[in-house]
Amino acid sequence: MGLLDVAGINVFYGRVQALRGVSLSINPGEIVALIGSNGAGKTTTLRTVSGLSHPTTGRVVFDGRDITASPAHEVVRAGIGHSPEGRRLFPRMIVLDNLMMGTYSRKDRAGIPSDIARVYDLFPRLKERTKQLAGTLSGGEQQMLAIGRALMARPKLLMLDEPSLGLAPILCETIFRVLTEINTQGTPILLVEQNASKALEVAHRAYVLETGSIVQTGTGKELLSSPDVQRAYLGM
Amino acid sequence: MRRLGSRLGSILESDPRKNPNAVVFLLLALGAIAFPIGVQIVTRGSGSFLISQAADAGVYVLLAIGLNVVVGFAGLLDLGYAAFFAIGAYTYAFVASDHMEFTPIHQAIHIPFWIALLVGMFAAATAGAILGAPTLRLRGDYLAIVTLGFGEIVPRLFRNAATWTSGVNGISALDTPALPIWINGPWSGDAFAVVQNFKIIDPLAYYVIMAILVAISVVLVNNLRRSRMGRAWMAVREDEVAAAAMGVNTVGVKLLAFGIGAAFSGFAGTFYGAKLSLVSPENFGFTVSITILIMVVLGGMGNIPGVIVGALLIYYVIFNILPGLPQQAADFANSIGATGLNTPSGDWPGLSGEVQRLKFLIFGLILVLTMLLRPQGLLPSRQRAEELQKGVHEDTVIEDLNAETT
Repeated sequence: MGLLDVAGINVFYGRVQALRGVSLSINPGEIVALIGSNGAGKTTTLRTVSGLSHPTTGRVVFDGRDITASPAHEVVRAGIGHSPEGRRLFPRMIVLDNLMMGTYSRKDRAGIPSDIARVYDLFPRLKERTKQLAGTLSGGEQQMLAIGRALMARPKLLMLDEPSLGLAPILCETIFRVLTEINTQGTPILLVEQNASKALEVAHRAYVLETGSIVQTGTGKELLSSPDVQRAYLGM
Repeated sequence: MRRLGSRLGSILESDPRKNPNAVVFLLLALGAIAFPIGVQIVTRGSGSFLISQAADAGVYVLLAIGLNVVVGFAGLLDLGYAAFFAIGAYTYAFVASDHMEFTPIHQAIHIPFWIALLVGMFAAATAGAILGAPTLRLRGDYLAIVTLGFGEIVPRLFRNAATWTSGVNGISALDTPALPIWINGPWSGDAFAVVQNFKIIDPLAYYVIMAILVAISVVLVNNLRRSRMGRAWMAVREDEVAAAAMGVNTVGVKLLAFGIGAAFSGFAGTFYGAKLSLVSPENFGFTVSITILIMVVLGGMGNIPGVIVGALLIYYVIFNILPGLPQQAADFANSIGATGLNTPSGDWPGLSGEVQRLKFLIFGLILVLTMLLRPQGLLPSRQRAEELQKGVHEDTVIEDLNAETT
């Protein structure tokens, strides 16, 4: 039994079926990547885990607790931090308040200052901009803030949706370096990425989604060398 | 009390360049103290009408502060805010007059003003929660429509439920409030009576009561804004899905904003009923809701001093400038020798009559001009100011099908 177990979930948007019997699991300490093309259901999978969408059938179990039908705010309390697609910062709130929003469901108020210091250590740029409105940050800084905000909840599992979307390659490198660092500090990560090669490099294991179903799974290295994956997602 | 002291201390000590609000708060507080003294000096002791009007303006300040929590903080467009005002005022009428004797209860209720304030607040907040619980799942425009409907229903209910509310006649001869003994001063007529039945007390007493109520509200709302709840409201206003992803129970915090806003409205309504000593369904129409909304938007949505200044200015324009305008126009025409303008002939009602007709056109023009020249409001919050100056770019949010239904 893993930290997170998703078992055979079917999710519909109206009459359109977005996920068809998706099952996956995440063990403590892992980085797991979820790759696939546009519309494959990657974001829907994350949204279903975090309670923003709900499956018609199937189960989501986190840390031994069934969260299939839990609303988003309870899932956060259970320990899943979600940095949603499109970053979704609070543009007219300052950087520090955005980070503070990450602590919204935390019980231990005392640990907050040291966690803010930790985020500022990981992303020194954010420290310089602590009183700036989030909407005035550059794309890369916004991504850093989105990850930092998710970390502020001290999640037992961090879920990131397209952290490299729209970023310059150099910033992309930075983000992935920090993700590895966060992971080695002990937080498991579920990563959704279009940048498959980068994601598979850092991931311990990965799942390939195609039109709502998981078609392949393996370690990051295995998938990197799989001919199907290379052809479809790595452009080789 | 110690917290209040330290807050005042921090306002006094804080750098005015960093915190312009502190300066405005200080000016407002000084102005509130200086106003009645100044008026009495300028008018040589016959300024009670102005002081009484200032107390009425305070009702709108309270309303604007409350609506600011709903619209400015939580971003919920409430077009029926006057409904809660009506509920507060009617609650006071029910619990502090002889009226209940003429309803099926046959027993007059007289609760002291200060307790009735809490009852009025509670009644309005309950109404807010009852309206909010099913409707706050709606977003933006839909919520506005529902609140608009609610704002129409409530005064109509009070008008038609004549057995309980005496319908269009309203309820009159409400108890007048008294200041508690411990704030005895030149303003308290007969401070030792807890309830003075149908006795007109000094306008200055109303002014002092209002000043106290506004001060309490400002401290309360300011603390709310800085609290975890205040941040959650802002987050919901900015991006509801992201707020939910942070663990905010979005319906819950919106309901709380709605309820708190309604409570302030009930608070203001109680005072209003007590001062006017009369409530009537005609006093709580759509125009009242819109006027309060204008005060909030024009003053600077989300910024408490801005909202206070907005409320005072709009009140001054509506109740002082506009009514005096026809006479001033006529006087002006006389002074430049164009007396012919003042003579009614045919369709021309005379200049003062014409200005009378155009009064609200002029009001509209003032509003349009203000919003064109200062779209962020008179004293905007830092967020709105920066948004309009620097252009905070909203993120490229890729909306999916589900975003609107969650």
